[in-house]
Amino acid sequence: MIKFLKLYEKLGIFILIILASVFLAIVSPNFRNMDTILGIIMQGSYGAIIAVGMTLAITSGGFDLSVDAMMGLTSVILAMLIPQMGFALAIIIAILASCFVGMINGVMITKVGISPLIMTLAMAVILRGSSLLITGGRQVVIAQKSFMAIGALKVFNYIPAPIIYMVVIFVVFYILLNQTTFGRHIAAVGSNEQAARMSGLNVTVIKTLVYVLVAFTASIVGIIRTSQTLIGIPTMAPGFTLNVLTIAILGGTSLAGGKGNLIGTIFAGIFISMIYYGLNLLNVQIFYQFLSVGIVLLFALFIDGLRIRYLESAKIKGISI
Amino acid sequence: MDESKVLLNSKQKAGNFIGSFGLIIILLVIFGFFSLLIPKVYFTWPNLLDMIRFSSFVGIGAIGMTFCIMTGNFDISVGSMLALAGVLGASLVPRISGVGGVAVTIIAASLLGLINGIFVTKLRIPAFITTLGMLFIYRAIAYIYTNNNPQYIQDRFWISIGNKNFLGLPLPIYIMAACYGIAYLLLRKSPVGRYIIAVGTNNRAAALSGIKVDNVKIWVFTLVGLFVGIAAVINASMLGAANPGMMGDGWEFQVITAVVLGGTALAGGSGSLGGTLIAALIIIFLKTGMSNAQVNSYWQQVATGLVLIFAVSINKLKFWLIGQTQ
Repeated sequence: MIKFLKLYEKLGIFILIILASVFLAIVSPNFRNMDTILGIIMQGSYGAIIAVGMTLAITSGGFDLSVDAMMGLTSVILAMLIPQMGFALAIIIAILASCFVGMINGVMITKVGISPLIMTLAMAVILRGSSLLITGGRQVVIAQKSFMAIGALKVFNYIPAPIIYMVVIFVVFYILLNQTTFGRHIAAVGSNEQAARMSGLNVTVIKTLVYVLVAFTASIVGIIRTSQTLIGIPTMAPGFTLNVLTIAILGGTSLAGGKGNLIGTIFAGIFISMIYYGLNLLNVQIFYQFLSVGIVLLFALFIDGLRIRYLESAKIKGISI
Repeated sequence: MDESKVLLNSKQKAGNFIGSFGLIIILLVIFGFFSLLIPKVYFTWPNLLDMIRFSSFVGIGAIGMTFCIMTGNFDISVGSMLALAGVLGASLVPRISGVGGVAVTIIAASLLGLINGIFVTKLRIPAFITTLGMLFIYRAIAYIYTNNNPQYIQDRFWISIGNKNFLGLPLPIYIMAACYGIAYLLLRKSPVGRYIIAVGTNNRAAALSGIKVDNVKIWVFTLVGLFVGIAAVINASMLGAANPGMMGDGWEFQVITAVVLGGTALAGGSGSLGGTLIAALIIIFLKTGMSNAQVNSYWQQVATGLVLIFAVSINKLKFWLIGQTQ
């Protein structure tokens, strides 16, 4: 069983993707077309980019429920600032604002000791309220058409830009998590915070930085989405946090902390996008998307639960893993 | 008890003070503030009764959540449970009468709670994330079941539950009082309460001393569902309809805030039903006050988030002062 679970951890998401691909290729002739596939990957990149940040947070033993509200905040800041200062500066300010919010999350969680659940849940409500306050509850249209290039551009007239962003962010975060001391510290904090503290790691700084990074990824997706629609939407992407958490857990990152699987995260993002594509083929209402993501999350949790349970029993029996 | 109080230093006294009187003072300050600000609207007997009537909705839902958080768990799906049970009961009224609809609502919510409990205990995953998934699943089922149409309630029995008076007081106040009475007996005078506290204080120790931890948790989640069902009946009655999208949207937030503000430790093991009740009143008094004073509803949203963070910080301060670690 342990062998199976270890194998699943490495290959499970690929098997799911292959099964889904075969199914879609049979059901839908359009799926055999490269544009459709790139479109699916692009749709998956939004969730995958934030899930990369979320994977870091889960690895450090926490998580962030305020990412969808951060996207809304980013969108609103862009819409308000672009007419005044052009989009380069507006983007920088929007990213910094999100990172600042992430820092507040991190400081409150580490210094005051509020649980990540309560802190980020409350932050989500506060951010939603603030975003609505900034625009007075309205959606704000952005007049600068050139801003659209950021999210809607196709590299070589072929690959949608969000896919490129996803790959870049993945590579940077992959190196960060797996090749640097900071990455090892994140894993150390996640697997045993007490021990990490005892061995002299600055847990406060590490955890706070992780929440800043999550906020950073959320603001990137906020920018992409805003640029594609050219509208600042304070209520952007309600419930998107569930998608992001599902992607991270489905990708093989354990809620127990200490172990992040970024490759799995990226492919899980694409898998969720394939499910959406399949549901669109069936022409069902949007509620079925919520339902399907919820069920996929429960499935991923079930596998994670099995893994935790078997690892525990293996430890008791003295089997080395 | 008395002996231990003598030995408390000033820090611990301050901590105890925050715990026992702080909430009542906050409630009085809020009531006094809005009474001075808008006396004609706020400081009236009908408004006071109305506010208590509305607080029953949050207050009753928070009873189950108090039990749940005391065991060290969490149910974030209560808002969706409320909607799903509500639309289910309301849709069946024409076929099985109002009494039947009310019964179905309460039973359905209890079953949803039971499902939550089974998933949480059998999957061995932190409850918050399992119930986060359930939040979306239940809401989606409510949408799909009703095709996103509100279910109007025309039955006189169901409508009167939330709106009629008895001896000059609205019925929901009696229902809330009864719920808190039963919950108090359950928590303080029956083995159930001791099991809950034992499981919340130390899972493993409870298991070793022969308590079936999983069963206790499953029952606690079912209790959450039961009280959510009662709240759903009252809420649907006040609104005259059960709406799959609007009903209970963001309600979990108020309920959790009430429990945490009431002094229940998030780590489990200790909690106070009285605190939860007063905290529910605080939330509604504040919300009504802000609405009456015509504060922008977005500000209200920001304020609810800040209140929750404030509540948790105060709790932390209290336990730090008493010298207990959470």
